[in-house]
Amino acid sequence: MSSVSCSDIFTGGHYNFPMSSFQKVALLFALALGVGLGLTYGWVVSPIEYVDAPLSLLREDYRADYVLMIAEAYNADADSAVAARRIAQLGSQPPAEIAASALVYAQMNGFSSDEQALLQNLFSAMQRYAP
Amino acid sequence: MKRSFPFFLALILIVGFGLGLAYSWLLAPVSYVDAPPSLLGADFKEQYRSVVAAAYAANQDLPRARARLDLLRDADSIKELSAQAQRMLAAGADFEKTRPLAQLAADLRQGYVSEPFTPSPFPTFAPNLSATITPTENSDPFFIEEEATATPFSAATMPFQQTPITPIVESTAATPTLRPTFTPTAGAGAPFVLVSQEAVCDEQPPTMRFTFLNAKKIQVAGVEIVATWNDGEDRFFSGFKPEMGNGYADFQMRANTIYNIRIVNGGTFVADLSAPECSAHGQSYLGSLSLVFQR
Repeated sequence: MSSVSCSDIFTGGHYNFPMSSFQKVALLFALALGVGLGLTYGWVVSPIEYVDAPLSLLREDYRADYVLMIAEAYNADADSAVAARRIAQLGSQPPAEIAASALVYAQMNGFSSDEQALLQNLFSAMQRYAP
Repeated sequence: MKRSFPFFLALILIVGFGLGLAYSWLLAPVSYVDAPPSLLGADFKEQYRSVVAAAYAANQDLPRARARLDLLRDADSIKELSAQAQRMLAAGADFEKTRPLAQLAADLRQGYVSEPFTPSPFPTFAPNLSATITPTENSDPFFIEEEATATPFSAATMPFQQTPITPIVESTAATPTLRPTFTPTAGAGAPFVLVSQEAVCDEQPPTMRFTFLNAKKIQVAGVEIVATWNDGEDRFFSGFKPEMGNGYADFQMRANTIYNIRIVNGGTFVADLSAPECSAHGQSYLGSLSLVFQR
């Protein structure tokens, strides 16, 4: 009867030479390397793309532009309910809070004074708006 | 069969890669919190388009609307807008909600703003008016010297011709400043008149094909048409097939049916229309009707 060694993890008689410490370390290293490569590929090279993202996941600049579009439409129709409903798609926060965030972003990122005025107007309307 | 150590090394590497991939794709995938509009779900893209169209209806900024739509990375933005408008109409949405989409699709196709934004028929001067007010001896405090200049209006947005109604007098000190008056033109509410009615024998299914033009012979989208016949009625709008023209609309006709057409805006009424008889290759068939209306 042959002696049992850690090499018996490869059962079935296909592998029958004893493993040295170097080989064990090499196998562990290969496993770690494989996991690392897999993670890198899955997170960086080819991450899962969510193609059905909701509006609430829009990046901050796109959110600000979305709110600006709502402000432009509101400036024409003065319909607070429609504006609030559109803003509500961007998250669960109160519409006034979302409008305020967009206004702050606009002030920090060089939106024109007209655009800031539109956002300010929308923000004021959302503060007054009571559903 | 014996395997060498490098084989197991490679096998372990592959197993590790698989474990890492499973973790990164299944257990802890990247979560996007900063998604671009192109990754929005179909419903959210529709809302995005609606808001772009609403903003465009308000500011008439076509390049900006185009840039915003480009963020969605649709294969054909115009087609998507038209399709969305038609889906909304089919779902029973109010036409006023779908009109901005159809208008934006039409303007994108033609490349210019078809209905320039005119907030008021009266000119409103910009705050940076560079007029200089100079008191004179017998002066009217509201007298403005002739070198006063106002921010000019572009021709594209000027909805009227300015015509002085009083003769120009050399002296300026004693006479009041001329005020502009407006030469009326056919406005948005003017009725349409049938200017052309032709049979079209193109061996296509019989349709009534409408084209609506404004006073400048530019096609007009969003005109509501009501077609009635002995046992039915249908309502439709121009501009929902922008590939055929912004002012185009069509309607399938049946054999042996008399149709009456009413243009809702202005109340134009055309009675007793039917598919014309055509013949080709010794055989007769039902042709189409082409109707052109103009304000």
